[in-house]
Order: sequence, then C-alpha cells, then structure tokens
Amino acid sequence: MTNSASPNDWVLLAIIVIGLTIVIGLSQRIDSQRPPVNPALEEEQLYLNGKTAKRISLGFEGMVADWYWMRSLQYVGGKVLNSQAAIRLDDMSALNLKLLAPLLDASTTLDPVFMEPYQYAAIILPAVNPDDAIRITKKGIAANPNAWRLYQHLGYIYWQQHDYEESAEVYAAGGKIPGAPRWMKEMGARMLAEGGSIQAARQMYQHLYDESEDDQVKQMLQRRLLQVDSFEQRDLIRQVLKDYAANTGRCPASWKDVMAVLQSRFKVEVSTGAPLDPAGTPYLLTAGGCDVDLNPSSSVPYR
Amino acid sequence: MAETLANEKTAAETQRTGGSGRRITSIARNTFREAVRDRVLYNLVLFVLLLTGAAVFIGELSGGQERKIIVDLGLSAMLLFGVFIAIFVGVGLVYKEIERRTVYAIFAKPVGRGEFLVGKYFGLCLTLFVNVIIMGAGVSLALTYVAGGRDPLALSIWPAIALIYVELMILTGVSLLFSCFSSPALSALLTFFVFIIGHFSADLKGLANSMGSAGARWLFRSLYYILPNLTNLNFITAAAHGQIPPAMQAVTAVLYALVYVSVILTAATLIFRRRNFK
Repeated sequence: MTNSASPNDWVLLAIIVIGLTIVIGLSQRIDSQRPPVNPALEEEQLYLNGKTAKRISLGFEGMVADWYWMRSLQYVGGKVLNSQAAIRLDDMSALNLKLLAPLLDASTTLDPVFMEPYQYAAIILPAVNPDDAIRITKKGIAANPNAWRLYQHLGYIYWQQHDYEESAEVYAAGGKIPGAPRWMKEMGARMLAEGGSIQAARQMYQHLYDESEDDQVKQMLQRRLLQVDSFEQRDLIRQVLKDYAANTGRCPASWKDVMAVLQSRFKVEVSTGAPLDPAGTPYLLTAGGCDVDLNPSSSVPYR
Repeated sequence: MAETLANEKTAAETQRTGGSGRRITSIARNTFREAVRDRVLYNLVLFVLLLTGAAVFIGELSGGQERKIIVDLGLSAMLLFGVFIAIFVGVGLVYKEIERRTVYAIFAKPVGRGEFLVGKYFGLCLTLFVNVIIMGAGVSLALTYVAGGRDPLALSIWPAIALIYVELMILTGVSLLFSCFSSPALSALLTFFVFIIGHFSADLKGLANSMGSAGARWLFRSLYYILPNLTNLNFITAAAHGQIPPAMQAVTAVLYALVYVSVILTAATLIFRRRNFK
C-alpha cells in the first residue's frame, strides 16, 4: 500500500463525488415528484401495540420506549407547527391528536417506570380523550403503586373533568403513600369540600408547578396561575363596578370613572385608568361598562 | 522403581497442568491480538460518534429526558455491538484456523483441543471486555457532559454493564460451540436464534404451562431450561432509571451464566475432540 495517490485514484475519487452529487439531485427530484402525504394514512393506527413491541424488543425495551416517547413529542410538535391557530399545551383538542394515546401507551408499556409520558398524558390527553388519560395514568399507578405523583396526575385529570369526588378519593389515596407530601391529603379534603373553587384551582396548579421538571409544562401552569389571579381580580373589579352603579345609578362610561378606587387595589394604565391584568395587559370594560373582560391580546388564558 | 515412576508421573502431571494455564493464556492473547489486527475494535469509533451525537442533539428531541435516553441508547448499543462481535468473530474462531490449516501446526505442539477452545474463548472474551469497558466509560462521560458535572447515573449503570458483559460471555460460548461442528454462516444464524430465544424465555415457559399435551409441555419446559435465559441478565431499562440490580439476583445470574458457559465449553470440547483433521 502506497501513500501517494495515483492519477487513477483521483479519477475514482471524482467518480464518487460526481456520483454522490447525482444521487442527491435525483433524491430531491423524487421528493418533489412524490404526491403529498394523505393525512388519513398518516393518522393510521400504530402497527405494533406496546405489548407486542415489548415482546419483540429483545431486551432493548428501554430504547424502544424512548423512541415511542420521542415520537409522541414529534407528533404533537409537528401538529402544533402545522396548525395556524395559537395552541395551548393543556387544550390541544383542535389538533386531532388521535395517535398520541397509543404512542404514550406503548411507551409506558415498554417502560412502566418511565414517568414523563404519564405526566404528558395527564396534561395533554384530558382535552383530547379523558378516558385514555385516566386509563394510562391508572396503568402507571398499577405498575408504580408507590409513585404518589401519579395519584396527583390522576386527581388533576378528574378535577379537570369536574369529578371532584373521584379526585378527592385519588388525592386521599396518594396522600397515604409513604413519602407523599402532606398537601396531597389536604387536596383530597379540599376537593371534597370546594372542588370547583378558585382556591382549589390555585392550589392544584401551584403544586403541579412545584413538582414538574418540564419547562413547557411549567410555562403552561404559570399561565394557569395567572389566569387564577385574573379570575380573582375580575371578581374584585366587578364588585367595584357594582358599587359604582349602586351609588350613581349607572355603569361607568370609562375606566377613568372608577380609576381612584381601582388605583388603590390594582396596577392601572395611567393614560386610560384601565386596571392591568397579571400579564400587564389592560382589562376591557364590557357590557356597557357593567362588566370586565380580558383583552384578547393578553397572554392570560381566556378559558 | 515404582516410587520413581510415580514421582515422574506426578512431575509430568504438574508440568502438564501448570503449562495448560500458560498455553490457554498464550492462545487467548493471540486471539485478542488477532481481533485487534482484524480491526474489531473499530466499532468503538461508531459507538463514540453515536453517543456524541446523542449527547449533543437528543436534548432537543427528548423533552428533558436526555440522561435516560443516553443510558438506554448507550447500553443497548453496547449489547448490540457486543452481540455482533460475539457472533461474527466467535463463529470464525475455530473455522478460520481449520480453513487456514494453522490448526495442524497448533496441534503438532503439546496443546490439547480443550485448551485451544478455552484459549480462543477467553481471547474473544478479553476483546469484548476491552470493548465493554471503553463503551461504558464513554456512556459515563456522555452523562457527565449532559449533566454538566457529576451525575450519579454515571456510576450506577456499571452493574448493568457488568451483566451485559456476562450475557456476551454466554453468546461467545454459544457461537464457539456452533462453530465446532457447523459452517460460519449457519453458526451465526443459530447463535442469533439463541440470542432471540434467550430473550423470549418467559414466553417459552408460559407456552409450556399452557400446553394441553404432557409431551409438548415437557418439550417446551426442557427448551426453557436448556436454552440460556438472557432476560436474567438484562437490567438496561432499570439502569436508565438509576436502579441497581438486587445483589442476590445479580450474583445468582452471574453464577448461572458461569455454570452455563462451563457447560457450553465442555460440550464444545467434547465435539471438537471427535473432529478428524487428517
């Protein structure tokens, strides 16, 4: 073997480079000629369910679980990117995510100790298919009976479905697990007493925020906490508007009419006197000055 | 006279047994050198590229689960690469020597057939050991890089790595056994089947229990016990969650593997001793 390249070597090298260039060109041409993917085919059910995939994974089930997990993230991410509307993490019902449950199901069947897909199922699936969200989380509890966080997720799903009794039971059961924080039992009691209250919502979101390690989930919960703050603010503003109407016999014509009262309790926009929501956007005076609403440009979730 | 003969016999015996270890070591060392010369360890380059790519890019795709995925990917690749080395190098260990007729030169010296096989086996095991150690260090480094400092996972994965190595020891023995009486292609195929069936052991047992006929039940139960149960040695998924195999379970699994390897090597020796090289 000699180190110096002969002219023949250069010819062969040139053939390789030219050949690769042609291959790239042809690939691009084939891609451009390919008909667009039929969304119906793209949404076809998974060929393998979790149990079959586990059986044939030959000891690589952890890696296959990761693959299903990443695929579920890409699936949701792709749908969000293709969607024109602004999509929130906890309300993706408009995206028709019918493959998400089977993907998360497969991932958790392959690796039942993998907690992240359960959290994803608890946050995203209730808006898509609450039954699947409950089924997957219950499967997680069966596989990890000592994981109190799964009880927290299940309680959250029931709470979202306004099933406060079931939510209370789940929180109470999770609170009995050794190592579970005390607030799990407290949440159970609160769900039973005042499941639909704003205070229950605040506590729910705050605990989920404290426990979550996912940045996107934290951002979503932060927005929910802002929404809870906004609900409380709007209740107070409504009371101010009501008092004004009671004193003057009419609703205020503009924020300036009640600015003096509002200023003592809220941050207000100096030029208009409008109180600012928790995201710093001025509230709107609606119903002829008798009611208050969020500004559509606000980052506080509307519902 | 009788005493002199007995002394000579003992001396010869001592020399023979003492020399046996040396001969096995020598064959093992040569097998390792040959594997290195055959660029078997080049797979490490691919492994390093895979891990580096995973460490750098997986964070964007995994939703914050890069540590788990690096362990799953790293240990699975370690097992997969090891299986390919054990199969494709293992099946050629004996065949190549016969094909190149070097086996005649070896057996012209005072080398037993069993010693030859055991030496070959340990040589490939040494190659796999080096491979696994370097790959394990690579996974630990990747975890340290991703965590941006000390990561407990970088240490806790090592018992699972040790069990991967033990699994590869079994497969090396199986490929050596097949290569004693079969062609390399068929040996590779059969060893791969053993690898697959080894991970289906639980199904085999379940099948045996669900069979109506006593004969079929006996057959599947026999297969379950005769074929290696490789699921006993698989702790990759648990390792990715920072779990360490229970000590008693790991020790029993290693003991099982060592006994199994001894049985395979004995069977291989038995078959190889009956082969006629004339």
